[in-house]
Amino acid sequence: MAQDETVQDAAAAWAVRVGDPGFDDWESFTVWLEQSPDHAAAYDRMASAVAFAAAAEPPLTAPALDVEPADHGEPSRRPARRWLIGGAVAAAVAVGAIGSWQWTDSGYAIETRSGEMRTVALADGGSVVLAGATRIELDHDAPRRATLDHGQALFTVRHNSQDPFRLRVGDDRLVDIGTVFDVKHVDGAIRVAVSEGAVAFNHDTANVQLTPGDVLTGSKGASGYRVTHQPAALVGEWSEGRLTFRDQPLSDIAADLSRMTGLDFAVAAGAAPRTLSGSVQIDSVRKDPKMLAPLFGVTVRQSQGGWTIG
Amino acid sequence: MSDQIPRSGLEAAFLTHRTALLRFLVARGAGEHAEDVLHELWLKLRVARSGPVASPLSYLYRAADTLMVDRYRADKQARKRDRDWTEVQTGERPGESQEPSSERKLIARQYAALVADRLATLGPRASTAFRRHRIEGLAQREVARELGVSLSTVESDLRLVYRELATLKDEIDEA
Repeated sequence: MAQDETVQDAAAAWAVRVGDPGFDDWESFTVWLEQSPDHAAAYDRMASAVAFAAAAEPPLTAPALDVEPADHGEPSRRPARRWLIGGAVAAAVAVGAIGSWQWTDSGYAIETRSGEMRTVALADGGSVVLAGATRIELDHDAPRRATLDHGQALFTVRHNSQDPFRLRVGDDRLVDIGTVFDVKHVDGAIRVAVSEGAVAFNHDTANVQLTPGDVLTGSKGASGYRVTHQPAALVGEWSEGRLTFRDQPLSDIAADLSRMTGLDFAVAAGAAPRTLSGSVQIDSVRKDPKMLAPLFGVTVRQSQGGWTIG
Repeated sequence: MSDQIPRSGLEAAFLTHRTALLRFLVARGAGEHAEDVLHELWLKLRVARSGPVASPLSYLYRAADTLMVDRYRADKQARKRDRDWTEVQTGERPGESQEPSSERKLIARQYAALVADRLATLGPRASTAFRRHRIEGLAQREVARELGVSLSTVESDLRLVYRELATLKDEIDEA
């Protein structure tokens, strides 16, 4: 046990040193890690607990922080988010030709109401879980293509490099590289989060490769996208009945809750615009919308046909 | 990887220091998966970034380190899910309620409250140092200046906090 204490102390000391944005003695850190496999394990335990706590703690003064601790340590440039501008990326990345997109008229659509969740099997053995208020278009003749018209869906698709699964979302295109991914398309804004495998976003122009934990967001009419990070395990957790918000505007939270629960949530008139974080069971909200009050520190009121939060 | 010419300082640094990064990843616990993780890192670099990076090599090491922490967390979560699943399948363990496992998952806000409680036991200076450094992103030297103490005092405060947070996380995961 004394041995273990020594290792834990050393791991804490390294976590402190490495955590400072100016740290650059990676050589010594490597040497310490190489001394025993226990060192990496102790460091992981320490670093992940700290990252977890930092992600759970709301900042005192600073605005939204990425989940990623210190985002790869660009000194003095927090939160260091990566903005992607289509053209620049297109110029920088060698584009692999994956054939063209073809859409036929033999398609059919599947639609869910607010509060409904539905799993659809795909012809190739994969599946799609549709969240509430979602419409996807599929095609009998082209089982490897789909369109997310609006709403949110979690795709689990079999990878086939000869015939990749392709998803159209508004003007954007996704090509899977073997994978589980979550796509949200509401009011023209797009959000793609990858749980397993990889996804190519707009492969013929920007060709952004998204790997597990990457979250790409873009808004309507904007040419740029940004990629942030979240624990891959959280991707698509709504399909298991849970919603987690991280520094999201009240209006987005109301919209998500409405789609997921089938109840009508709106932001209370006069409520100050702000961002909130928290995690809820969809079922619990449906049963008792007032439970949101203590959780988010908001006021929840019943209004005609629905609920207001603010 | 069909790159003949390195396109940025980061990618040039990646190619130059590939061996050192690989060695780091092996030592960092990636073992036989080190090549895979390095490839994942490479894919991430291909996502364009805005602005130059002050020290590309340090950036790469840090990105590799973060990837490993993410892998550790994802791994642990997956194992916990498996365990929860087994518990659901085999019924309750002695002395435990039969709540669905998802109900037992700790929400972020509750976790934040536990963190705050635990920080409070370490005294105001340590908890302020932690918040200023880890949550608001100040360098440790700046935190020291702000608090009017030496850098080594801040480091020692942070070590205490980290150990406490690791203990708290263990307790929660085992709960």
